[in-house]
Amino acid sequence: MLWNIALRTLAFDRGKLLAGLVGVTFSVVLVNIQGGLFIGLIQKASLLVDHSNADIWVGHRGMHNVDFPHSIPERWIHRIRGIPGVEEAQPLRIGFSEISLPDGNFEGVTVVGIRDGTDLGRAYRVVDGAVDGLSQVDGVIVDQCDDERLFAPAIGETREVGGKRVRIAAKSHGILSFTVTPYLFTTYDRAASFMNSDPMMASYFLVRVRPGVDRESVCQEIRRRLSGVSAMPAEDYASTSVQFWMTRTGIGLSFGAATSLGLLVGLVMVAQTLYAMVLDRISEFATLKAIGMTEREIILLLGAQSSLVAVAGISIGLFLAWGIRGLFSTPRATIDIPLGLYLASAALVFGICLAASALPYLRVRRVDPHTVLQG
Amino acid sequence: MLNEVSMSVSELHGSQPVSFVPGTDTTADAKPLDCPVRTSNSVGSQAVLVAREICKSYKIGGEQRWVLRSVDFHANAGECVFLSGPSGSGKSTLLSIIGCLLEAESGQVTIMDRRVDNLSVAQRTLVRRQMIGFVFQRFQLIRGLSAQDNVAVPLTLQGISLSEARARAGDLLRRVGLEMHRKQLPTAMSPGQCQRVALARAVIGSPKLVLADEPTAALDGKSGTEVMELLKELVAATNSATVVVTHDPRIVRYADRVCEIENGRFK
Repeated sequence: MLWNIALRTLAFDRGKLLAGLVGVTFSVVLVNIQGGLFIGLIQKASLLVDHSNADIWVGHRGMHNVDFPHSIPERWIHRIRGIPGVEEAQPLRIGFSEISLPDGNFEGVTVVGIRDGTDLGRAYRVVDGAVDGLSQVDGVIVDQCDDERLFAPAIGETREVGGKRVRIAAKSHGILSFTVTPYLFTTYDRAASFMNSDPMMASYFLVRVRPGVDRESVCQEIRRRLSGVSAMPAEDYASTSVQFWMTRTGIGLSFGAATSLGLLVGLVMVAQTLYAMVLDRISEFATLKAIGMTEREIILLLGAQSSLVAVAGISIGLFLAWGIRGLFSTPRATIDIPLGLYLASAALVFGICLAASALPYLRVRRVDPHTVLQG
Repeated sequence: MLNEVSMSVSELHGSQPVSFVPGTDTTADAKPLDCPVRTSNSVGSQAVLVAREICKSYKIGGEQRWVLRSVDFHANAGECVFLSGPSGSGKSTLLSIIGCLLEAESGQVTIMDRRVDNLSVAQRTLVRRQMIGFVFQRFQLIRGLSAQDNVAVPLTLQGISLSEARARAGDLLRRVGLEMHRKQLPTAMSPGQCQRVALARAVIGSPKLVLADEPTAALDGKSGTEVMELLKELVAATNSATVVVTHDPRIVRYADRVCEIENGRFK
């Protein structure tokens, strides 16, 4: 019966119900879209690592961000290859350069140099042009999503990178840097010339271990043999790269604040809605108390009303968030909402709605059933 | 008519003085004053409600004012007792106290031989749920609920399933002539219809005691008469004791006993 009273009294005052639903829906959408944008953005910080096909990343001691490596001697890779359990180890070069634009200007690019004949470090997937584009003379690969920055280079178009002639051999899709500097993939050797860096130095060593081999043990062995390097499983380095931006830029705080604001708005609107409903119905609550409804049942009634508003608002909000993600998510502004975020936001907003019912309860608690006899 | 049924204090209590000095009211030469009787009814084995030496005061402007001065009152099963008197005389306060809605400062209230004046708030709530049916001046129906669901509320509070409660509420609404209005909201019903719904709500749980506060005040003469006839009929079926607060002279004929109260005392 409590559910019946809760539902029917809610439905009776549709205006206030609508206001409550808008509040909850707004909260759910905001939390999911903000969270999805945050996840989509922060994932770019580790995109090269996530798609590197490597089990272990080895770099200069204290490496903290995939886009900002310090050089290490390339010859050290032989000591890694000699470690039992290592199936393959390849060097990788990452550094900054500039690509010429048709209007005579230049655009900064992050050059990624990978070895031929391996998929280690090959983070891209060609969607336009030659799949083996790096094998072509002067061939480089850029991303479609950077077309606007790079003045939409055509396949086969020639440009200059670091003063050297390159040809756009292929394009990937969705491999974007957190720093918004376009990635440019090339061969390991050509990368050194584009970056004007020492050809005897590498940025990282990417390691693939044999099946069943404990990666942490291999990392320890690498660190034992090469005291000047850090070695960590790819997931750990991805997390390290993400943490770099999280702690250095305050991006987490920024998104967190916006999300909290959304939750706060939802809380206030639900609490205000329920409170306004209760104020309208003070005499009805007095009546219910007079005819024998206990405090516990009053709490349950208000909780049921909050729950109903929450469930309806959350359902609408999740559907809208899902739709917005489908319609508006792009590689540049990725809205990545994992199932966990949907569920967590639903649980969080539901909890907030229940908490919001405390406000009207505080008012109802003060209602004296005796007042019902006072006209 | 009220005067006809009034009896003196000495008739009720003989010559035995009973002290009354609650608080600082020194003007009260009080003795416990039971409501006068018109018939042979008196406190006996059939008493549903017995209230003894009830005192209640309010602080108004920092000054303590006694609303009830050592009042005795009882109502027997099947009896309909009217509480009458001018505004501010204390009749609604007495109704609240015997209805476990308000605590007296002193005195005892017993319903079906169970003392209820010394119970906690939660316990008094359960007493109201299990033993008392209320009819209010302004009906006090839940606006969002249909007539049938309004009537079903007391049953569901007692743990009866919603479907069973609705079925019984539907039957009762048919008895009060509102079968066609079962699904209607109170906002779509006339005041007389609303009060009939309220009556049905008050008696559906077969309470031992039915308390009605000015049940005809918001109704025209015809509706008021209909409501009172219905009330009598419904409580007769359950043999409940009924206490009606009113100063509507049109309905006095429905009283088995009329207690006129003034300045916190029965006349």
